[in-house]
Amino acid sequence: MIQFRNVSKIYPPDVHALKNATFHIKPGEFVFLVGQSGTGKTTAVRLLIAEEKISNGRIIVGGWDITHIPRRHVPLLRRQIGVVWQDFKLLPKKTAFENIAFALEVSGAENSRIQKIVPQVLKIVGLEDKANRYPAQLSGGEQQRISIARALVHRPKILVADEPTGNLDAVNTREIIDILQKINEFGTTVLLVTHNRDVVNSLKKRVITLDHGVVVADQEKGRYFL
Amino acid sequence: MFLLSLTRIIRFALQNFYRNIWLSIVTITVIILTLFSLTSLIVINAGVNQAILTVKNKVDISIYFKTATAENTVNDFKEKINSYASVKEVNFISANEALEKFKNNHKNDQLIQNALQELESNPLGPTLTIKTYDVNLYPQILNQLKIDKVDQLAEEIDYDDNKLVIERLEVISQKVQKLGLIISIIFAIISLLVVFNTIRIGIYTHKDEIGIMKLVGAGNWFVRVPFLLEGIFYALLGSIFFWFLFYVAAGFLQPFLSSFFIDINFNLMSYLVSHFLYIFGFELIIMIVLNMISSFIAIGKYLRV
Repeated sequence: MIQFRNVSKIYPPDVHALKNATFHIKPGEFVFLVGQSGTGKTTAVRLLIAEEKISNGRIIVGGWDITHIPRRHVPLLRRQIGVVWQDFKLLPKKTAFENIAFALEVSGAENSRIQKIVPQVLKIVGLEDKANRYPAQLSGGEQQRISIARALVHRPKILVADEPTGNLDAVNTREIIDILQKINEFGTTVLLVTHNRDVVNSLKKRVITLDHGVVVADQEKGRYFL
Repeated sequence: MFLLSLTRIIRFALQNFYRNIWLSIVTITVIILTLFSLTSLIVINAGVNQAILTVKNKVDISIYFKTATAENTVNDFKEKINSYASVKEVNFISANEALEKFKNNHKNDQLIQNALQELESNPLGPTLTIKTYDVNLYPQILNQLKIDKVDQLAEEIDYDDNKLVIERLEVISQKVQKLGLIISIIFAIISLLVVFNTIRIGIYTHKDEIGIMKLVGAGNWFVRVPFLLEGIFYALLGSIFFWFLFYVAAGFLQPFLSSFFIDINFNLMSYLVSHFLYIFGFELIIMIVLNMISSFIAIGKYLRV
């Protein structure tokens, strides 16, 4: 589903954020991408959604080689990968419902479909009663759940979560991880970028470890060992 | 699909507008102030031109006929002069009217009054005053008067007295117009820069949102068009509010202006009404284009996500 083949990312003049990173995530997997701050985890996500250009190597997503993806195709790629960020990235002047609906509206979805799907994903994240709240009127955990709902609304085959619990307390962290697990159980491939040791160790899923831009470990049912 | 996107884009633009109402109010206020300075310049230019025209109209050629000249002869000349293509108007002043006018003009001068009483007959002859469409045509008319031998019956043709005034007026008029144009251009540039920067600051406050829209899969035009539309709303509302306020202000000012510039035939209200489409249309188009260009440039920077 996601293939990194000898992927490097060099920021000028000579900062190597990723060095020859190679891994293959299969459909339906739940994978942790771990490592300390500044080891290239977020760079990997940014390359995956074409927010950054690859310096060397190849990235293939669902059979689509996005290594040299033209700018006009980037929105199409982003509509196929659900992404959740640490800082939620919700539109502050739109309600929870509108934030989720926006992701469908950009792809030209019919209004009837939007009216049907948005309440469904709000239900999945347990916030159907807060559809008309603005982000500022929601707690951090609730904002992150809206962000997950938005990422799910396209029914993507891949969900990438970049430090989704970084700004949350333990209770909210648990809830978010539970939701991500539930999504994975429905068949969605989940790539969870984190440096939260407890979360990684409690789930006993596949763990890819980055250290200074290099993949230093890739273990089935792994642990956070750095 | 296109219609669906269009209705969405319009909805987003309207939402942006009223959910950022303070930013919208500030932008519209800046547009109103800009239009105020532009329109004031246009109106002042028109007023100055009208003032120059009024003064020009006061300058004419006067033909003072000899006292013995019969009024019929003068009237014949009047008809002839009236037929010149460059002549706008010819007025006949009889000898008696000329005397009355002279007496009236010097009613406080006892010496002149006494001198007139001493005279047995009217010392003044009939007069023709000529107005043209353009003061530059005076020499040509004078030439024609000579051909028609008017000067043989005339005591005096006093164009020469006015020549200097006319020439000076021409110079002043040209300078005023040039200065007006330069000031207008400078003001227009300042105003346009103010609007441009206001729009840019407005877009800057949305830069994170633009980035998020791109990250969740929005295409460039889907992000850009609502902002361009918002710019059109600003221009439309700013122009409408401005014109409403300007008309109200002009209505209040008109009586004061009329009494102050008593000799100048310039009516602010009727000028605004007669030039409404011309000025309003021009300003509206300028504002719409300016807002759209400003938005387009400002957004471009934040779309590279």
